[in-house]
Amino acid sequence: MAKYLIRRFCELVLTIFLIASATFFLLEAVPGDPLSERADKLPVQSREILYKRYGLDKPMMERYVLTMTRMCKGDFGESFVYAGQTVGGLIHDRLPVSARLGLQQMILGVTVGLLLGIVAATKRGTAIDYMVVGLSVLLISIPHLIFGLMLQKIFAGTLRWFPTIGWPAGKDLWLGGWEYTVLPTLTGCFSYIASYARLLKTSMLDVVNQDYVLTAESKGLSKGAIIRKHILRNSFIPVMTQLPMSVGMCITGSFFIESIYSIPGIGQYYVTAVNNQDLSIVLGETVLLSLLYIIILFITDILYVVVDPRIAMPGQEH
Amino acid sequence: MLTPDKFKIVGYTQEEANKIDRPTISYWQDAWRRLKKNPVAMVSLVVLCFLVIMVIIGPHIRGYDYITMNVAEKNQGSSAKYWFGTDYLGRDLFSRIWVGARASILIALVATALKLIVGTLYGAAMAHFGGWVDDILMRIIEVLNSLPNLLITILIMMVLGNNMFALLVALSITAWCSTARQVRGMIKQLKETEYVYAAEVLGAKPLHIIIKHYVPNMLSILILNASTAIPQFIFTEAGLSFLGIGLTAPEISLGVLISQGQKTLDFYPSQLVYPCVVLCVIVMAFNLLGDGLRDALDPRLRQ
Repeated sequence: MAKYLIRRFCELVLTIFLIASATFFLLEAVPGDPLSERADKLPVQSREILYKRYGLDKPMMERYVLTMTRMCKGDFGESFVYAGQTVGGLIHDRLPVSARLGLQQMILGVTVGLLLGIVAATKRGTAIDYMVVGLSVLLISIPHLIFGLMLQKIFAGTLRWFPTIGWPAGKDLWLGGWEYTVLPTLTGCFSYIASYARLLKTSMLDVVNQDYVLTAESKGLSKGAIIRKHILRNSFIPVMTQLPMSVGMCITGSFFIESIYSIPGIGQYYVTAVNNQDLSIVLGETVLLSLLYIIILFITDILYVVVDPRIAMPGQEH
Repeated sequence: MLTPDKFKIVGYTQEEANKIDRPTISYWQDAWRRLKKNPVAMVSLVVLCFLVIMVIIGPHIRGYDYITMNVAEKNQGSSAKYWFGTDYLGRDLFSRIWVGARASILIALVATALKLIVGTLYGAAMAHFGGWVDDILMRIIEVLNSLPNLLITILIMMVLGNNMFALLVALSITAWCSTARQVRGMIKQLKETEYVYAAEVLGAKPLHIIIKHYVPNMLSILILNASTAIPQFIFTEAGLSFLGIGLTAPEISLGVLISQGQKTLDFYPSQLVYPCVVLCVIVMAFNLLGDGLRDALDPRLRQ
């Protein structure tokens, strides 16, 4: 176990190092630099001072070493484009927004999806089953993007039930300003509904054909008891292991939604920062999001063992 | 009581006993038969064929060029002259949508082909060499897999610029990993099977084993892999182009058309609706066909 954890940790450090270096050199490879837009109109002297302030006067390799050493101390530096903006401040301001959006999507989408999955599996072959299957294919086949635009047009534009864009701020950041969050949440939750309904249905149908279900039936257990005690418990394994992945995906998955509804979240800023070649911000966000993602992958691996004792602990031989 | 004298021989010949009544059916014939029985899959197959024909001949049907502007007739709704209306520069939307769909489908197909080819070769190398080569190649996949795809895609698009080549690289750079893993697992499993041993013992050449045993067994998995990858690529392309980091005007794809349609959404919603509908139909057809193929090809689902 200890050996496994150490190996995973080394891999994590290596991965983060690789992604940070790759991001640095990729952004360096883009022609031009982040300051030119601001500096071109300035006199030569001020321009030099500006370049010096951000360290852009140094050669690339020197800046690479500097950036990496500072990164190890947890300092990603200041934004090249917006003076005074740091990665830390950005995370503080914008992460709660993205986190609330992601959480609302997941809670609504996963709950509805699982319920639909259970209904479809228990009423297999009936009209309800076909409706759920049809609905999930429909929901999977319509991109976030189009859902977002459609909902915005119909419910915010034509019917005026909800505001078109915006997001609660200040004391409403976590609880409150619900009318702003309805449409973005709906937009994002459809894909969860579809994928979890399908996932649970498939997994439940797998379990239904197992011998222990037959045993339970022949013991005379009621249908409800079989579903609750035997089928659901076992068919939740793929769901449990899929959940952390969804958390990971919902961070980057909301990029489009944040863009459609002008939500000041972390994804929207990432796209802006990449367009501005804002190296320090891009580097910081990439590293932090990757770190989060890797940790989630690790949790997933551990969860496999926790929810299904039949799987050996990673790093352990049978 | 059953006694031997209660049975009598009604007469048979050796030939009759060995005769096989029904024609032998290969795996692929059987899969095709199953697919034909699935109405949903067949409808989507027909729809896909129709779409492929349309993206080839669609832009020429109405005789309007997809780039010729006609400012006198801009932002028109559907009419007999312009079936899908015109955009903000007076370009025929019907022609533009099919040209855009052509780009989207082409990108998805090429990216899928790249994913499958790279993934198969990589996976085959892992399974074939084994040992430390396998270990190192696997670590590379793990590193690539632990990166959020969208971040990488956006970064690569930034560096290589907004063109078709960059988009293909960006889309397929991490996509091949899952294929490589599947192929590796599959070949490792196949290597141990009795019929491959038998073929080896009987003196079959490696090429023969690859063609006769490995390829047919992996083909169904690769086809399923492709059928889930294509809609994904179409999605991602549209999303990136919408955010302005995929293809950008004057190049067109469905994503570009959707982002242009969004700008005039309040006044001329049809400019957004048509490309969206075409995109959804394409993706849905691929998804439904994929589901049908899974039922037809996956031996575990057979009853």
